[in-house]
Amino acid sequence: MSRHQQLALTDDLTIYHALDQKNALLDALAMCDVLELDLARVGEMDTAGLQLLVLLKKEAALAGKEVRFSAHSPAVRSVIELCNMAAEFGDPLLIPAQD
Amino acid sequence: MKTIFLVDDSATILLSIASILTKAGYAVEKAPNAEEALRKFQSGTKVDLLITDLNMPGMNGIELIREVRKLPDYKFMPILFLTTESQQSRKQEAKEAGATGWIVKPATADELLNTIKLVVR
Amino acid sequence: MDELTSVFVQESREQLAEMEEGLLRLEQDPDDRDNLNGIFRAAHTIKGGSGVVECSFIEAFTHDVENLLDSLRNGAIGVTPDLATLLLACCDHMGALLDLLAAGEPAPGAGLQTHGDELTAALKKVLATIASADEVEIVQATGLAEQAPTVEVSGGGVVITDCWHISVRFGPNVLRGGMDPLSFIRFLSSLGEIIGVATVTDAIPPAAEMDPESCYLGFEIQLQTRATKADIERVFDFVRDECDLRILPPHSKLADYLRHIEELPEDSMRLGEILVRCGAVTQAEMDAALNEQIRGTPGEEGAGPPQIGEILVGKEVVYEEVVEAAAVKQAQIKEKKAKEARLVRVQADKLDQLIDLVGELVIAGASANLLALRSKQSDLVEATSVLSRLVEDIRDSALQLRMVQIGETFSRFNRLVRDVSKELGKEIELNISGAETELDKSVVEKIGDPLMHLVRNSLDHGIEPAEVRAAQGKPVCGQVYLNAFHDSGNVVIQVSDDGGGLNRERIKAKAIERGLIQATQTLTDSEIVNLIFEPGFSTVEKVSNLSGRGVGMDVVRRNIEALRGIVEVDSVEGEGTTFTIRLPLTLAIIDGFLVGVGKAAYVIPLDTVVECIEHHDGESGRNILNLRGEVLPFIRLRDAFEVPGEAPPRESIVVVQFGGHRAGIVVDQLMGEFQTVIKPLGVMFRHLRGIGGSTILGSGEVALILDVAALIQSVSHQESNRLIGTGRAQAGTPKSLVSEKD
Repeated sequence: MSRHQQLALTDDLTIYHALDQKNALLDALAMCDVLELDLARVGEMDTAGLQLLVLLKKEAALAGKEVRFSAHSPAVRSVIELCNMAAEFGDPLLIPAQD
Repeated sequence: MKTIFLVDDSATILLSIASILTKAGYAVEKAPNAEEALRKFQSGTKVDLLITDLNMPGMNGIELIREVRKLPDYKFMPILFLTTESQQSRKQEAKEAGATGWIVKPATADELLNTIKLVVR
Repeated sequence: MDELTSVFVQESREQLAEMEEGLLRLEQDPDDRDNLNGIFRAAHTIKGGSGVVECSFIEAFTHDVENLLDSLRNGAIGVTPDLATLLLACCDHMGALLDLLAAGEPAPGAGLQTHGDELTAALKKVLATIASADEVEIVQATGLAEQAPTVEVSGGGVVITDCWHISVRFGPNVLRGGMDPLSFIRFLSSLGEIIGVATVTDAIPPAAEMDPESCYLGFEIQLQTRATKADIERVFDFVRDECDLRILPPHSKLADYLRHIEELPEDSMRLGEILVRCGAVTQAEMDAALNEQIRGTPGEEGAGPPQIGEILVGKEVVYEEVVEAAAVKQAQIKEKKAKEARLVRVQADKLDQLIDLVGELVIAGASANLLALRSKQSDLVEATSVLSRLVEDIRDSALQLRMVQIGETFSRFNRLVRDVSKELGKEIELNISGAETELDKSVVEKIGDPLMHLVRNSLDHGIEPAEVRAAQGKPVCGQVYLNAFHDSGNVVIQVSDDGGGLNRERIKAKAIERGLIQATQTLTDSEIVNLIFEPGFSTVEKVSNLSGRGVGMDVVRRNIEALRGIVEVDSVEGEGTTFTIRLPLTLAIIDGFLVGVGKAAYVIPLDTVVECIEHHDGESGRNILNLRGEVLPFIRLRDAFEVPGEAPPRESIVVVQFGGHRAGIVVDQLMGEFQTVIKPLGVMFRHLRGIGGSTILGSGEVALILDVAALIQSVSHQESNRLIGTGRAQAGTPKSLVSEKD
């Protein structure tokens, strides 16, 4: 039976929060099989934040688990599109028509 | 709106750079010496980029950069220093102290703004 | 024309439309980077496609246009009105060339060729004004100067893309120095356009060793730019010492890319994948090369598996156009992602077929309903009732498919206003609102001409010359407005201007001259103004090239009435004029209200029906009713259509409204609501005023659909004429509509 957990990130995905977020995210992943990360409240995102998201996906794959990103905020969406990472992450990316 | 903090002991330089930045839409804060600048940083002011001269009486630019980098709020803030051609040797020292990049004096407004555009998050 | 060419022509026409739109926007906002990029990309796409279909005359001409647009988007030259005019002329010429290709012509005729040559010469002249410092860049961009580090021309050299390829692996301490690699990428895109990017995350170690404050990322970037290699390198000045940076110039040989792959830290297959992702090579090439690599070449001792490089080179796989097309497509995907995901292309005639079938379905459904009711079997009634509801839903959905936004029609006028105002030497701005308002597509197609006449009328006669406007204290720039919105089951389109308005005296004088009215008649203001719709009327002193060609407002009104609509005009002298067009939302299927007169059945469009009241005859031969204090003129269908027989003692009046006017229709019986498909009347009956079509009832009988707009107009005119006594209608006898011809 797979354990699902939902987590919402409230801080910005930037290098200033990266250390804390890495620990929190890995801890959450350790306690479940499917982790859904809600990114609606992520105000800003930089390279360090992107690396964390990649790390999470890699760790999940290694452990045979799953990580899903959802409710990408505009900042998150902008970085993912800039780096052409949408396909690699594999999560559906809602694109508002006014973009 | 992004805030840029300028530090230089020459009032002329401070004024000329500040006017270019303000015209380009940045908010500008100034300090004529490193000590005053550091005090401002220690009190936690909102800054998106620091531009500092290296040669200043009292605390010089390199020491300022080192001290600012120690403050957790500014650990990863972009920092540019002003340098002249003849000071190339100090570039390495400044980078080791934690500077992000440099602007060679005299710089045109375009060069200045382009460099800022490159490093400001 | 084969399918590839046909697709190319269609796509190119769309690109041209976007190019034209972008060029018109350019004059308002010369610094809009996205717009500049978009205009360039449109020309770039057309050029790329012309190479694939091997149409050299389009390719050659577009090449020069593209060069100029590239300089424009990189800021090497600035926008001027003359430049915009030249580029718009080039757009038109490209359209003409596409027409040639679509017609199967091999080359432009002498006249067209000369025109094209003139345009090309003008383009080159503009390009020549760029400072000579840029000549170095032009040379580099065409790949003549060798800029790449020690690259020999090794075998198989097939050219790939016209982008710079930037490969960077950031050092671990870059973030601690206050840099953010994302800023680099954003900055690079300001130097030109990033056609493709692939983020390399291979260096991120397992969680235990990963330091969140260190940088592990790399990027492979395809950048289209006229900047020099030095410019690109300068971007990375601050991190040069701690990064691995490689730059490949445009038109690099395949061998260069492959050597690049070999030198990078990641595994070759991974790199192949990365290069495909950023658009440097295509998937097909990579697949082919990797397949061979896995198979290995037999019979080679100690040579190891062949490198991707040799395989691809050996195959001479790459074709520039395909890669370019892929690269350009990638860039376009981001823009169109949201739109494309929500659109499906449908052929117009298939849609029409569907609508016809739905119409038949509606009629058959009504028939089934009727039979079910007669059978009095409750479960059958229930079943057909469910069926009816579903048919209604399908009908509504099908009709929705035919709805298109009027915005596209409106934006065609941007070009017209621009060209005509220049021709007339007037300053005129076009304002568009309600572009999202939807209409039936057949209406949209037919409303263009009348709108065109109205807009030209505003441009030519409405807006005064600059001096006249200034003298009156008006802003020198005249305003023309196009507006559209929905209102009680209709679409309303307004064409207005802030010009001089309609001159009542001149209109009256002209009408008298043309014998349309007597000098002694007194007319209301609205009647005077509506005289312009009478045939043979034109108040313009000079017949100008544009709108005085004998095509007057009467034709406009006729065209609109042919769409079952009406047009009205409102004007204040010195301030402006507004034409208001009302059209039904759909021409195909309507909800109707069935009424009976004698043995005949008529259908009144349900959205025009306000209420039904009883009618007791006894009024003094006047067909006016006092309805709760409001004056309501009415018409007796029995008289209007000369239905034989006597009227029953108790009749009903259906109060209808259209365009702000109300009238009553006196009928024998009220038979309830039902939906129906409009069948057009045969050619013979098209001129019947008051009838808008026919339909088949569930019983198989034919019912005529009333044209409420026409009825109301005739009633209102009748009654007001009677009151004023113009003598156009005979007092006491209601007009018969059947014999009136238009």
